Amino acid sequence: MRVTFPYFGYDTLALKGFLEDLGAEVVLPPPTSRRTVELGVKFSPELICMPFKITLGNFIEATELGADTLLMAAGARKCRFGYYHYLQEIALKVAGRKFNLVPVTQYSATDFIFRLMPSLFNVSPIRVSRAVYLLLAKSALTRDFRRMLNRKRALDFTATEQLVKPALRVIAETRTLSEIKRAHQTLKAMFNLNGDKPQLRVGLVGEIFFTIDQFANQEIEKKLGQLGVEVIFERCLYNHLRHLLRIDFGYLRSRRLARPYLQECPGGEAIRTVGEAAKFIRRGVDGIVHVFPFTCMPENIAFEALQRLCELNRVPLLSLSFDEHTAPTGLVTRLEAFVELLRRRQCGRRISGN
Amino acid sequence: MRIGIPRALLYYRYGRFWERFLTELGSEVVLSRKTDEELVQNGLVCVPSEVCLPIKIVAGHLLQLMNEVDAIFFPRLNWLGDKLFACPKMIGIVDIARMLLNKNVRLIAPTINGDLFRAHFAAGLQINPNPVKVWAAWQKTKGELSRKVAGDDVVSFDSSQPAITYPTVAVIGHFYNIGDEFVSRAIISTFKQNGYRILTKEDLPDSVLAKANGFSRNIRWVYQRELFNSFEYFLGKVDGFCVVVSMGCGPDSLVAEFMRERAQKQGVPFLLLVIDEHTGEAGLVTRVEAFIELLRRRQKRLQS
Repeated sequence: MRVTFPYFGYDTLALKGFLEDLGAEVVLPPPTSRRTVELGVKFSPELICMPFKITLGNFIEATELGADTLLMAAGARKCRFGYYHYLQEIALKVAGRKFNLVPVTQYSATDFIFRLMPSLFNVSPIRVSRAVYLLLAKSALTRDFRRMLNRKRALDFTATEQLVKPALRVIAETRTLSEIKRAHQTLKAMFNLNGDKPQLRVGLVGEIFFTIDQFANQEIEKKLGQLGVEVIFERCLYNHLRHLLRIDFGYLRSRRLARPYLQECPGGEAIRTVGEAAKFIRRGVDGIVHVFPFTCMPENIAFEALQRLCELNRVPLLSLSFDEHTAPTGLVTRLEAFVELLRRRQCGRRISGN
Repeated sequence: MRIGIPRALLYYRYGRFWERFLTELGSEVVLSRKTDEELVQNGLVCVPSEVCLPIKIVAGHLLQLMNEVDAIFFPRLNWLGDKLFACPKMIGIVDIARMLLNKNVRLIAPTINGDLFRAHFAAGLQINPNPVKVWAAWQKTKGELSRKVAGDDVVSFDSSQPAITYPTVAVIGHFYNIGDEFVSRAIISTFKQNGYRILTKEDLPDSVLAKANGFSRNIRWVYQRELFNSFEYFLGKVDGFCVVVSMGCGPDSLVAEFMRERAQKQGVPFLLLVIDEHTGEAGLVTRVEAFIELLRRRQKRLQS
């Protein structure tokens, strides 16, 4: 059995480690590229949202490499994400692939640990729980890596880009808890931040796939880093896992902060998007960047709330919706204009003395 | 108190009941005018550009009512029955409405969490503080709940046998799209002019719509499940399907795909019409006519 799953930013490494802990042979699809998206678009319905197309492309490319068991996460079914696997099954059949698509339903950790994973990989629930614990530790590592990377990029872009590959190798090589702890130290030494802070900080909020996957958001963190802006974020696999295991207390705070704008959860991550943005504003960021796939339902509602939130707090907001036609040049232009605005605001504040 | 009801979204399902219920509570009910071009244009500047047509329309209705009434009655449907959710935009539109109205007008927006009575009772208390009167009003008017506004052309449809007396087309779409003349007039009238009988999901009894067997069990959106159930019911009983989807409607983009797959398997003609505020009437008519042409040829081929 050769297992595969769609790309998920730097956290792909953590997920791969998790499946290998369970004794599976993992075949990673080739990194998401133009071809991936084109393949995905070819077999997708016209009006479906972007993550569907990318993950479908990933699956098609992975089956080319000989993967036969496809793991696809499935959500709470308020948002389209919960139905991806039904359509992907149809689409992959149309594409003429042989496969076994396993929907991994979230929102029930016990079901995941005691039924789904043991039956799939023929392992004991204890081994699964241990692997989940390691996954948590490792995703915390990738989160810290992303944090340090974003800060270092804003300070010294060219030097940082050379650090990415060795750092990812360090993360990929960790297998045990003590190795993960050591990797934390190694990464810290590598990035050598010494408490330096960049001049500008923006908060990244939005749909989970688009905030995490670098290809989907066209490396928005890198592009902003190049412009000398640090991107802070809260959405990552680590927090999401904690949410699924119901130990994520940050969510409660998000919900409270979002309450004046959104009273009822419209599904997806709308509440988190608004709550996190409110949190970032309290932490004093210079701007908010909101990324979401084109026609994403919950994020469109969140967008309206974000507009109101940013207007009241007088913080600039850049909302970017992505689909397969979003051109990198257009994105860079918008980001440059946004950063220019942030710089001017900062100068203005310094002159007026507050 | 003058209370306004926007003639959009849930109005097409519960509108008759709401009118009577609010009147019974001693308030004057004002309906927004029927959807027209100007209303849509006003509405679409107030909401994010990517949302679907019904949301843009409802924003227009809210803006029109804003200056005419003391309060707007606009319940939020969260879930119904077996935790079947409304679509995210329908849940979120109330929050958008609150920001849009910006405290100029009182917004009476009870949340329907599976229980219609509790939501309407809470709303009733906001209008009339006497709980006995509210309860009496509910008892008196709850019969109206089953009367639907959309589908004025209700034909009694015998479920026991496929009644193909003259050519029939099932127009599958949400009640707020089919019921809104501005959206559906061109489609419906073209079919009718060409001698087709039209069936919509509003013609079916609730027992059919709320079924939870087969694939529809997997659909956790309340109205999309209805769409899919009605599709499955009509499959094999009608000559063709015309599915009306608003551009940017997330759930429909999925469910329409499931329907298309099944229709193709059975070889039933299937037309998917995607509409938004730029859709011209002429374009729609052309597409429907082409579809009718296809149906006729198919009919001839089957007869010969």
